[in-house]
Amino acid sequence: MSGTAGEISQRLQRLQPRLRPREREAPGSGRQWRIESIVLVLVGVLLAVATVNDVVLGTHTNHRLVADLRTWREYTGNNYKNVSTEQDARGHTTTDVVCGNTTPGPPKERIQICVQMTGPVVHGRRAARGGWYLPPKAEDLRRYRYGCYGTTKAQEACPR
Amino acid sequence: MNVAAQSELPLIRTRTAQWAPALAAFCALLLIAATAEIVLDGAVGHSPLIPKSPQIAGWLSGVGERLGFRTFLIAVLAFSAGYAGLLALGRALTRRWAIVLIVALHVIVFLGPILLSTDVFSYIAYARMGVEHGLNPYTHGPIAITHDPVYHYVGPDWKHVATAYGPIYTLISYPFGLLGVVGAVWGMKVLAMLASAGTLALTWRCARLRELDPVRAIVIVGLNPLYVIYAVGGAHNDLLMMAMMMGAVTLTFVGRDAPAAATVVAGALVKATVAALLPFMILARRSGRQILGALAALALGLLIGFVAFGVDGVNIVAALNRDAAFVSTDSFPTEIAHLVGKPGVFPIDHDLLKGALVVVVLHLMWRTWRGYDWVAASGWALLAISVTSTWLLAWYILWPLPLAVISRDRRLLVATLAIQGLFVAHQVTPLLAPVA
Repeated sequence: MSGTAGEISQRLQRLQPRLRPREREAPGSGRQWRIESIVLVLVGVLLAVATVNDVVLGTHTNHRLVADLRTWREYTGNNYKNVSTEQDARGHTTTDVVCGNTTPGPPKERIQICVQMTGPVVHGRRAARGGWYLPPKAEDLRRYRYGCYGTTKAQEACPR
Repeated sequence: MNVAAQSELPLIRTRTAQWAPALAAFCALLLIAATAEIVLDGAVGHSPLIPKSPQIAGWLSGVGERLGFRTFLIAVLAFSAGYAGLLALGRALTRRWAIVLIVALHVIVFLGPILLSTDVFSYIAYARMGVEHGLNPYTHGPIAITHDPVYHYVGPDWKHVATAYGPIYTLISYPFGLLGVVGAVWGMKVLAMLASAGTLALTWRCARLRELDPVRAIVIVGLNPLYVIYAVGGAHNDLLMMAMMMGAVTLTFVGRDAPAAATVVAGALVKATVAALLPFMILARRSGRQILGALAALALGLLIGFVAFGVDGVNIVAALNRDAAFVSTDSFPTEIAHLVGKPGVFPIDHDLLKGALVVVVLHLMWRTWRGYDWVAASGWALLAISVTSTWLLAWYILWPLPLAVISRDRRLLVATLAIQGLFVAHQVTPLLAPVA
């Protein structure tokens, strides 16, 4: 060790024994090791439970989205691949809105029909309670919606 | 345990030892097959797992099929199973075969497309902003070069974001900006390969210096699924940071305190995270030369950064604060928020997480002061940073791995691999419920 390091070490030796730096851990630090291990195991269990919970939530969400797509295709009679699903990001409910073209064409290039899905998945499908239409190339924003039908009328989902 | 059971144990061990080479060969083949599947399918393109990129692996595209989530996840799980098998088999893999397998996996990934991340295109965009367009990448995002060919490959989330990497890394990346987009991608791939080789060579050296099994050390790091598929596959600059980190550890082990501290600082000017090693190194060695080395390197690095990029180039704290506010769905804080019924993490959660991280680091500093292995303490700190981060990516949980394999605390390796296992487990949702 260098001279400077030697001076530092000498000064540090003036500290109380329990505050002094050590080259190796004290032999009696097994209790601390056990406490740390218990904390690590508890943190590990929390992270494992959170991961499994997230996987289950994700699985349910995917299951629901598949049911949404199937419902939209049956409801509209269009077997399109490119339809967009929006989840309720504000209220965090399981109400989803699925929008897709009314006639064949590139995504969002035709008049779109949006269907609002609610409730549980039953036989791979969900309840379609209502919806609205969107003009071509429009995003699903309230100002673009028209022709609200079903329960969305009462919700005032359309501006007019 | 009864006498009969005791007499059966050596027999079981002998049988396992007889089968170990065959099992190890099977696991090795599993790793190669899984990697080849991802690379060959990835080369076809048009996959959400393969970022939009110039055709660098077109000659491989006729072999595979479009890479879907299901195939990718099965390949990752197969790779993980093979990796776990190789770890369980202990020394069944000889030194020569371990190196051959690591090199083979690296070559397969090197020849394929960029996997899973657009980050490399951000590196190239920042480089081209500097050398081709005369723009400061610390004050502009890639949106400033919309007409540049690399712009279309930058991830949508990063188009408005100025670089968060250190000035040393930005200067290292500048020559790649002159090579065109395709040349720069290959250049970044070569850099990632060299950094990975450096990390593994230095891990080997550190293991030998600590009288640990170096083959086991490089097997754990170099065959790790997240290391091969995500870090090397994405040509991430984390590999360069890890090489510098292991360089600093090696220098400390051979008693070269000042260059060791200077290397940590240089590493932090590549990617700031590696600075986490410095307090533990200083507390363990208590050498004035170390502090001088760190200060000299910091002064030089900041001077270079300031001359090259102005004050924004050396304001690393601002970049870290900005990135700390990001939230990813794979982060553990997000998962815990979901567990307690919250939709995600809130600003108060960021403060709580920072507080928890400070407590962990202070505890580790005190333990290091009282004789705990500083390498293990540094590894725990890096693991704590990744676990408490709200923005977690696969390559972040690789940071502590090279330290874990050479640390004197076996718990660190177990914890690091467990966290990586949870990360992989969190990806399997599309396998359980595929979206049509």
